[in-house]
Amino acid sequence: MVELSFLDWFWIVAFMVLMVGSGVLFYRLGKRSEADFFLAGRGLPWWLPASSVYATHTATDTPMWVSGVIYKHGLAGLWYTFFSAWCAISAFVSARIFRRSLAYTQAEWQTLRFGGLPSHLLRGWTAGWQVFMNMFILGWVGIAMGKVCHYLFGWHPFIGLTVFSVACAVYVLAAGYWGVVMADFQQGVIAFIAILIVSFWGIAHAGGPTAIVAKLEALGQAHRLNPFAFTGWFGGDFPIAWFLTMVVIAVIGGFGMGTSIDWYAEAQRIQSARTVKDAAWCIWSGTALVLIRNAIWGAAVLGFFVLYPNLTEVKDYEMAWFRLGFDTLPAGMLGFFFAAIVAIHISTISTHLNLGAVYMTRDLYHHYLRPEASERQLVWVGRLSTLLLLLGSFVFGSIMENITEWLIFALWIMAAGVWLPNILQVVWWRFNGWAYLASWIANLILSWLVVWVLPAFGVIPALKDYQQFWLLMVLGALVYLPVTFLTKPEDMKHLVKYYAMSRPIGWWGPVRREAEKLGLL
Amino acid sequence: MALIRRNWNPKDADEWTREDWIAIVLSPLAYAALMVGTALSILLMPLGYIILAAGLALTLGMYWIINPKLSTISDAYEKKQKAYLEELERKVKWEDVP
Repeated sequence: MVELSFLDWFWIVAFMVLMVGSGVLFYRLGKRSEADFFLAGRGLPWWLPASSVYATHTATDTPMWVSGVIYKHGLAGLWYTFFSAWCAISAFVSARIFRRSLAYTQAEWQTLRFGGLPSHLLRGWTAGWQVFMNMFILGWVGIAMGKVCHYLFGWHPFIGLTVFSVACAVYVLAAGYWGVVMADFQQGVIAFIAILIVSFWGIAHAGGPTAIVAKLEALGQAHRLNPFAFTGWFGGDFPIAWFLTMVVIAVIGGFGMGTSIDWYAEAQRIQSARTVKDAAWCIWSGTALVLIRNAIWGAAVLGFFVLYPNLTEVKDYEMAWFRLGFDTLPAGMLGFFFAAIVAIHISTISTHLNLGAVYMTRDLYHHYLRPEASERQLVWVGRLSTLLLLLGSFVFGSIMENITEWLIFALWIMAAGVWLPNILQVVWWRFNGWAYLASWIANLILSWLVVWVLPAFGVIPALKDYQQFWLLMVLGALVYLPVTFLTKPEDMKHLVKYYAMSRPIGWWGPVRREAEKLGLL
Repeated sequence: MALIRRNWNPKDADEWTREDWIAIVLSPLAYAALMVGTALSILLMPLGYIILAAGLALTLGMYWIINPKLSTISDAYEKKQKAYLEELERKVKWEDVP
């Protein structure tokens, strides 16, 4: 339990008023149209969505996760956080293509890329999946805040889950994405300052950088300073095979759309940027800041390690960074630290409230139910969707302990068997809607078989995660490649329209020739 | 012909060229160097300073190579954007569906 002074409470109340108030201020802009409520009118300079990329991916559970992998693996654990490097290539490839398509969401993009029945099936599936995923992420992040508040103040976790999400919903309901991105900017600044202060304070408390290095050597743990401390090609808990798989998934994934669960949030930021150039630099720089932040945390957690080198329980060492703050900061600064944690928390909550709502409004309501809805109606449906997501997240958060394993599986199937199809849909003209749909269906079945059913019956051994990835990729290809060649290509007129608008990279020869023939290039 | 082209017209900028591929290669290397270099530099390790400096150099090089092309693409595309947006809204209203 932490005792807060008057100054601590002052920080907390002042920051809450600032954060919620700065979002609500943009009420008038947010209510103008659907494009304003979900994309801030597509007019933002690169640094605003960049700060939103950074703030969104700094959630309450992020320092716990980074603390866990760094405490366990040393600086080599930084590579577990390198999955966000898909933005390295995406910034100059898929972000550019997606921004030019002007689609509000990934689901909408699929109706531009594919045609006919499969495109509408895919749009409905992707939208429904994203509504579910955003609700789940809201519950996941919300209950992490509940745990932090329980650790600090002894509150029941449900209080921490609901109080801050409701405060955040005030400005998301009022101003939509305008509120999200404006609040994210100042929340991102507050969070980064707090991360610097707490991390360097913790490093100083551990004796300073030189002492940390010396203590690690004295403990026989110098390998923790080596980011490339592999445990062999295939053995141990940090094999080269895992590292290479991670590099492929993360880096090559940037050619595709949806190869990372984070794509869907980034897609909204890409589309809200005022130009193609702003879109590219917003996700590049936002992600660079995420990786630098992880490095700062990494150094601080090594400081925690030399202070407490014998922790064996995950629940103890995953709190490393939080403990550096709450155990070592002086009175008066604790409130600042907690206010920064609230900033970290609600910047993520606000993004997923608005992101889930755009799929519900644009892809389900506007596209399927009321194509002729007015802008005013769409903004109100956006608000209602936000509210539904908020309430759903409370249900998810309450049962999260029981369903985490199942939902981590749900996240895993998002990445493995559809990873390559997510790239092929961008780079190969012949890959059609039926093939993409087949890859999803195959992946839903194959992932169950490979991860749980076949190992349980002894048909195949229990595989490591990187082995599962490669196996699912190969098995999935055995389904969707035949489907590709056994079904007709997309209608050439549809593809030409998409090509002229988006100018995709890769194998688009026949479409390009047709577009040239029609004088569209 | 210069190894790196920095003056673009809209038609050429729309093509995928060597400059794109150089940025595609430099970008992940810059990310990795910035991340590892920052962690080691905070711990005052000399190797960290070198890696961090390499990360910054890669970032600047990438920017110098790709930004002129992105600027040209953006300028040209903005002129077409209004028509494309109208087309997109027609699709949502099912006007394109036979």
